[in-house]
Amino acid sequence: MTDSAALLPGTLDLLILKAVSLGKLHGYGVLLRIEQISGGALQIQQGALYPALYRLEHQGLIESEWGVSENNRRAKFYRLTAAGRTGLKEEVASWNRLADAIALALRTTPQEI
Amino acid sequence: MKTMFARLRSFWRGMRSPDQEWAEMSEEMRFHVEMEAERLQRERGLDAAEARRQATVAFGGEEKYKEAGREARGMAWLGGLRLDLKLGGRMLVKYPGLTIIGGLAIGFAICVGAVVFQMVMMFVSPTLPMPEGDRIVHLRNQDVEANDPMPGSLYDFGVWRESMRSVTDFGAWQDVTPNLIAHDGESRPVQAAAITASGFGIASTPPTLGRPLVQADEAAGAPPVVVLGHGLWQARFAGDPAIVGQTVQLEGVYATVIGVMPDGYAFPVAHEAWLPLRPSVLDDTPGGGPPVTIFGRLAPGASLEDAQAELTTLGERVALELPETHEHLQPEVMPYAHMFAMGLDGEALTVFALVQVFALMLLVLVCSNVALLLFARAATRESEIIVRSALGASRRRIVVQLLAEALVLGAVAAALGLLAAHTVLRQWAVPFLEANIGSIPFWFDLSLSPATVLYACALTALGAVIAGVLPGLKVTRGLGSRLREGTAGGGGLRFGGIWTAVIVAQVAVTVAFPAVALVVSKELNRVRSYDLGFAAEQYLAVNLQMEASPGAGVDSVTMAAHRARFGTVVETLRQRVASEPGVVGVTFIDMLPLTNYADYRIALDDSASVAAPPAPATASEGLPPLRRTTVARIDPSYFDVLETPILAGRGFGTADLAPGAQVAIVDESFVDEVLQGRNPIGRNVRIGAGGIAPDGPGAGSLPWHEIVGVVNDLGMTGAAEVGRSAGLYLPAAAGSGFQPHMVIHTQGDPVALVPRLRAVAATVDPTLRLTELRRVDQVTNDFLWVLGMWFRATLVMTSVALLLSLAGIYAVLSFTVARRTREIGVRVALGANRSRVLTGIFRRPLMQVGAGIMVGFLIVTAGTGFLSGHVPDQPITWGGLSAGQAALLVGYAAFMLGVCLLACVVPTRRALRVEPMVAMRVE
Repeated sequence: MTDSAALLPGTLDLLILKAVSLGKLHGYGVLLRIEQISGGALQIQQGALYPALYRLEHQGLIESEWGVSENNRRAKFYRLTAAGRTGLKEEVASWNRLADAIALALRTTPQEI
Repeated sequence: MKTMFARLRSFWRGMRSPDQEWAEMSEEMRFHVEMEAERLQRERGLDAAEARRQATVAFGGEEKYKEAGREARGMAWLGGLRLDLKLGGRMLVKYPGLTIIGGLAIGFAICVGAVVFQMVMMFVSPTLPMPEGDRIVHLRNQDVEANDPMPGSLYDFGVWRESMRSVTDFGAWQDVTPNLIAHDGESRPVQAAAITASGFGIASTPPTLGRPLVQADEAAGAPPVVVLGHGLWQARFAGDPAIVGQTVQLEGVYATVIGVMPDGYAFPVAHEAWLPLRPSVLDDTPGGGPPVTIFGRLAPGASLEDAQAELTTLGERVALELPETHEHLQPEVMPYAHMFAMGLDGEALTVFALVQVFALMLLVLVCSNVALLLFARAATRESEIIVRSALGASRRRIVVQLLAEALVLGAVAAALGLLAAHTVLRQWAVPFLEANIGSIPFWFDLSLSPATVLYACALTALGAVIAGVLPGLKVTRGLGSRLREGTAGGGGLRFGGIWTAVIVAQVAVTVAFPAVALVVSKELNRVRSYDLGFAAEQYLAVNLQMEASPGAGVDSVTMAAHRARFGTVVETLRQRVASEPGVVGVTFIDMLPLTNYADYRIALDDSASVAAPPAPATASEGLPPLRRTTVARIDPSYFDVLETPILAGRGFGTADLAPGAQVAIVDESFVDEVLQGRNPIGRNVRIGAGGIAPDGPGAGSLPWHEIVGVVNDLGMTGAAEVGRSAGLYLPAAAGSGFQPHMVIHTQGDPVALVPRLRAVAATVDPTLRLTELRRVDQVTNDFLWVLGMWFRATLVMTSVALLLSLAGIYAVLSFTVARRTREIGVRVALGANRSRVLTGIFRRPLMQVGAGIMVGFLIVTAGTGFLSGHVPDQPITWGGLSAGQAALLVGYAAFMLGVCLLACVVPTRRALRVEPMVAMRVE
């Protein structure tokens, strides 16, 4: 458990958008993709994925349609919308600013003050 | 924008089928769990069951996520509303008292609102139920100087028809009421229209039998024809299928029936037979000829504005050409059905708006009351509300719940109210309209229109907002602080001054309304028991008229000839009817007893050499002598036929009809009020006429009438009149001297004579019109009917107000007592005197009711004083509340107080019975 980190509040949406931006995915696929692209380091409460998906869809950032999965089963696939693409760009920029700021803050040593 | 669209779509998807949405979420999540289980099997080698278990655990609570998902879609409130409505329905059943009282009250208000709306819309924006009915127009001249619509003339009809391009299919009609003599020999007037053939083209309704009128029928020499309405065909010809081609007698003319129109066809207004309009050449002069109503259809593509513009130009041209007749005339065009719309001028609109506002205020008042009841109920559920709010329910959420409860109640009430409105319109509106405007135009549709139903729905929503949101807001105010205080048993909700005012107003109204009801019922009884001074139930009255009475502008010779002929016909009729078996006597009068006689100013010849004996005391002692009287013209046999004695002097004889024999007979009231008890015989009286005052300049041209006799009061005042009056009779010849009502004294039921009478009249002269056939004692029936309706309306209003105020008082009191249960318990436990506890509880409601009764009495007194002081001729007197009736009102007030106390008893007993220990533990 030491090599995995709990998710910061608000970051799940960002990760979902990122995962979906890489290609059309069903809900379970989104989970696998996030695990894959984060190197398995992030822990997600699996069910919590869905309210987030519905919320993003409601906001118009992603859209869904029913299709057939890789093992020939009916599944709902999500895809990024144009608005989602813009939203993702902004979210990423904002996240990077935050991460840089926090990294900068954490690097500070007593001598630098 | 795009986001907005996505949101709407997502919301709509959930809205469309919440169940399907739910199922899709389930499917998606199940897919997830199965995929995870397969992976666990594959990667960790678990058996199927274990893999599934672990996958399910890893996923977490499916239901929770679905709920969260639905909330994420903005669908949560929908499910909530559903639940609220369901809860509201349950509350209806759980509190039946509140449901019944609130439902009845709101239903009543909605009923009144719907009926008023329907009636007003019918007058303000009537629609013609005909193909392209909105394109059919009515054209007329407006006299700008007198500000009156002028009846159309055939000249204008001709000009407009020839010149106008924006209006086509011109037509005109004229009301005629000829006597129709069917095969049974009975002669009855029918409501017919002399109409151009184009009228049938505009209505485009095919006849049931035969053909409608055609242009050829209008030619001067064409054979006389008639088209019958369905009702007339059924009633007078028993629906004879072979009627077409037969001849019927219309007035003096034999006309061939050419067609029968289907049921419901009454164009142009409410007509039952149609004759061709055959103007003679003479009638075509500008401003002359018979009055006609002109209509047409807007030409394709033309609007009402186009037509008005064209007509205005035309009108200006005609006014220049014919200044004599058309200088002050402005032609105007309007939708046909607006012909009777009481003019959309400011005044009428104000009246309609006022009526509407009144109905709206009634609803607001009623719903405020229901709000009071709902508030009391919500207050008893305070702890529930506080707990809900503590569990995270927002204030809005709680208010919405109360609104939903009010909405459910309102919906039930609306259904009830609309049903009642439907009944009221069917049962009472038709006779009401007929009493006021005669026959109802065919486009007056008295079934509830969709607009009315919509309006009622809006009223319901408004009522629900008042009754639900107000208490909701009040009960949820400062919830947070109450959560802390609640357990301390103090503070909490209180009824504010507004509620007190509402209750006081209510009680005042319940006191004032019965006073109105009392006055109305007194009036009803007075009219019903009016002593006519003779056995009115043995007499048949019938109004006699003769067709073709020459209009104004005819020379006096023709007029005199017509009168003489009418006189002869009436005299023949008298002899024929008198010889019928069962007829005791026949006489004539110009106005029937109890109807509204004309009032005349009079002057007395006080120089007459009549010894004035000291006046005996009379009812009107101290008042100045009356100087006006009602006047009736009677056949000399009138008093004989009525079998009423001549109290002094002599009766009339045939000799009194001779020119120059200026005599009069007065009734007892005349002796009392005008002469103040002095002997009238031999006195001379002069009656104002033709704008000449009997004591003013030019009075010398008025003849003196010598009073030769005195009779009992025989109903010489209208049924609605009260106060001082006097009556005077002048002898005249029926028919030639006045338009007579024939009064027939019969043995047995007078009405049984009617068919025989019609047959006799038809043989004497087919143009003789018999209308208003009824027993003399039933002359006031119409008036009684209106009074009775007013009485019933007052009763309903009073009961609603009474019911509401009682419920309000009960609610407030049980609420107060419930609030103070602990206090009461403690006081009783500490040995407080029960009566003192009781006084403490009763003080407030008693003061409220007392104040209400006071205000109510003030209103009644003020109303009485105002009406009796300023409107002496008001048909319904208020001043007449006798001591006994005042006592009745006081008794009623005491009764009100008692009933209110009764409303206090239940909650109080509940409180007093509480064991002190229970009371302490109650919170």
